[in-house]
Amino acid sequence: MHEYSLASAIVDQVKEIAIQNNAKKVKKITITASPYEMVIPELLQDAYKIITDEIVTFKGSKLELSILPAKISCLECEYKGEPDKEGDQEFAFNFKCPKCGSRDTHLDMQYLTIQSVDLEILEEFTTEV
Amino acid sequence: MCNKSYCCPSVKTISKRIIYINFHNFSLNTMLSDKKIVVKKQAYLINDEIADKIRQKMKKKNKLFFNIMGSIGAGKTLLLENLAERLSKFYKIFVINGDVATTIDADRIAKHGVATVQINTGGGCHLSAKLIQNELDKINVDEFDIFFAENVGNLICPAAWDIGAQLNVVVVSITEGEYVIKKHPIIFKNGQIAIINKCDLDGLGFDSETLVEDATKIKSNMKIICTSAKTGQGIDEFIEALGIKIPKEV
Repeated sequence: MHEYSLASAIVDQVKEIAIQNNAKKVKKITITASPYEMVIPELLQDAYKIITDEIVTFKGSKLELSILPAKISCLECEYKGEPDKEGDQEFAFNFKCPKCGSRDTHLDMQYLTIQSVDLEILEEFTTEV
Repeated sequence: MCNKSYCCPSVKTISKRIIYINFHNFSLNTMLSDKKIVVKKQAYLINDEIADKIRQKMKKKNKLFFNIMGSIGAGKTLLLENLAERLSKFYKIFVINGDVATTIDADRIAKHGVATVQINTGGGCHLSAKLIQNELDKINVDEFDIFFAENVGNLICPAAWDIGAQLNVVVVSITEGEYVIKKHPIIFKNGQIAIINKCDLDGLGFDSETLVEDATKIKSNMKIICTSAKTGQGIDEFIEALGIKIPKEV
């Protein structure tokens, strides 16, 4: 259940962003993941709620997760991009390269990304009457 | 009305989000506004930055650091005991053991004359770069040559967390069943060496062949070694695959 660690990693990073921007509240965090990121969305949401319920700035905020298409790198022809639609019955993650047909492909795991953060900012200014 | 600038404030609340506090000759306004910050940074960024720092530091100091992953009971600790026994004559070894509870593993490996430290993760199912960094901060890294981290017994979560090692080793044993690699492809995709352990039981109702074949299919350039931590089979080959040279005894 590494979703808890992942939720903590997201909150830690956004905490910094909130401080830098003098935010009073974090309203929404938008993240994207590949379909094979080993993340169970429901567990991630549960973990996020448990963590953020304890933090005033984050309480009630939303974590929005959208899934992007998988990306592969072909180890034979060096193609990088979306895999062929045809799956592999035997090996769940041996995607087929659409360019050369090889299944010697590496799944790009590194794009579980925080895309944006919606903040409520407290601005103070003075005006002369 | 008085003549002082900072007295007689009157508060005027326009809405929940805008408040005017009017003083004698000026108004202090606070306003809540919404702002969208584009981040586009990886969720694992903080962990990965620490991991990269560890990797660079180890490389600069000419140290080796390996991450040993595998399920509970695969034989990670006994393999490390074998490595400790053979390598401690020539190198200073430091082993970081990760477990939910107890110091059993660290104590077992320490008996072979190497330095060990046990991390208890409490409930955590993997080690992270920060946990490794905390332990490295407590020691003088220069005093050691080779570092091993024995990750928490698990074939899922450790795959997602870079701990700054130069090589990731995945240990499976043939007693875990013939489908163990097929069922956990990600950790093998992220590894460079696959150890198929308990090969002394090969043919005794267990089979190493399917696991070797599956490891090859998952990643073509994977280094696969059949070992038995019990009999010592394949340990020399494992040491060689890690890039560790054993000086010839005179």
